[in-house]
Amino acid sequence: MQIDYVHDLQEVYRKILHSMSRPGTISTLKIDSEQQDHHLPCNHATFLTMLALLDAEVSFHVVSEEHHNLANQLAEYTLARHASIDEADYVLVLRGTKESEIADAIKKCKIGTLLDPQTSATWILENNSMITNEKKFILTGPGVQHEVNLHLDWNKHLLQERNERVKEYPLGIDLVFTDDYSHIACIPRTTTVVMEGM
Amino acid sequence: MKTKPHFAFLDEGSKKEIRRTILKAVAIPGYQVPFASREMPIARGWGTGGLQITLSLIGKEDVLKVIDQGADESVNAVSIKKLVQSTTGVEITEQTADASLIQSRHRIPEVPLTYKQILVLQVPMPEPLRVYEAKEYKTKMLHAEQEYSGAWLMLFEQIMKYGKTSTDADHPVYVNDRYVMAPSPIPRFDNPKMNQSEALILLGAGREKKIYAIPPFTDVTSLAFEDYPFAKEDFTNKHCYLCGADDVFLDELIDEHSGETIYQCNDTSYCMERLNSNQKEEVGSVDA
Repeated sequence: MQIDYVHDLQEVYRKILHSMSRPGTISTLKIDSEQQDHHLPCNHATFLTMLALLDAEVSFHVVSEEHHNLANQLAEYTLARHASIDEADYVLVLRGTKESEIADAIKKCKIGTLLDPQTSATWILENNSMITNEKKFILTGPGVQHEVNLHLDWNKHLLQERNERVKEYPLGIDLVFTDDYSHIACIPRTTTVVMEGM
Repeated sequence: MKTKPHFAFLDEGSKKEIRRTILKAVAIPGYQVPFASREMPIARGWGTGGLQITLSLIGKEDVLKVIDQGADESVNAVSIKKLVQSTTGVEITEQTADASLIQSRHRIPEVPLTYKQILVLQVPMPEPLRVYEAKEYKTKMLHAEQEYSGAWLMLFEQIMKYGKTSTDADHPVYVNDRYVMAPSPIPRFDNPKMNQSEALILLGAGREKKIYAIPPFTDVTSLAFEDYPFAKEDFTNKHCYLCGADDVFLDELIDEHSGETIYQCNDTSYCMERLNSNQKEEVGSVDA
């Protein structure tokens, strides 16, 4: 059974919107496993998120030199253009990507301008383990009533790189994390993230 | 020949562009994100911005409520409902609590919105600084530099002239301590409902091609001075002549027979709900 581009992607988008407007809230993209026949080296949640957001009007970048083929395939699926990191509207990080590559890309990606802060990059990042609400990162800010915990693979160094790029709000990047269990969780630029015990 | 319209009227490319814009709007609360507003089968200025947001969000499982100045049955609300229903087949409701998606013109419902709901507001004039700066490029610069003296000055002039701020509706608000935003022409009574709202609030201006948002649990403060604090419309000692509600936004009417001034709930479905809950059933079900 194929993905229904109208109804399935509408459902996927609403989950993304729900998670983006409530940072740290984990949503599950419930699309039948039978539909997971894309044979791409990314997880299903990543694939669906890309399908829901990308089209010929935007560009993307895959942070990893090993995945040229994926970039071509994604371009074919979505009609989006593959671009360099400093131009890309969407940045994709597959699981297993080196920390140094991610950190370097965070430094180089678009964060918008004060006149047009919306011209920033949205990141879609694959988490190696399951995303949970266990304690590791503590999120506060718009969309969070008091505070929320989020457990991601990210370490202190990557968090610092992200915090460095969002410190001049409204400039910044918005992050969408995905995992192999079809979960997504978002951290927009407005969210203050601190690591537990820091 | 009559062709079947696409689900939710808009083509998928348009929906995607609007969906991406909404995500950016949510990530930058109060900032007006430009988007390519489409031609709709209703005239610009009649809710095309809100309608495009609704059509981009709506799915088969949604339950939709559309209100116009608090009324479920006014022309604008009915036309929008008909268009959305005929192109999606979704369930339409008048009960605020039952709706997953609420499109509204100039009111936030009296029933508190919940975590699972999205409120879409139609906006005629999204730029709160337009009153004193006509050029879009300049207002963008003012927002970029967080230079809001003009907005404050506007309120100050009103106080000098009338002894109080004279914004009946669309009283500007500060969102997340960064952007000054036009909350759409909702009465001042509704401004506090935006602060720390449980529901996501999306605002769409079709003619002006802007979408902006207030995520849940976001600080929204109405602009006011320390010595002239923000004040809602005052309905002290007034109540709805139909249902008796006294803590809601009331419309002022003249009783045709007695010539007296009477008040009625502006939110018609809320009033109806209260009346029904107080009224005894005339024909109840008979237990066997």
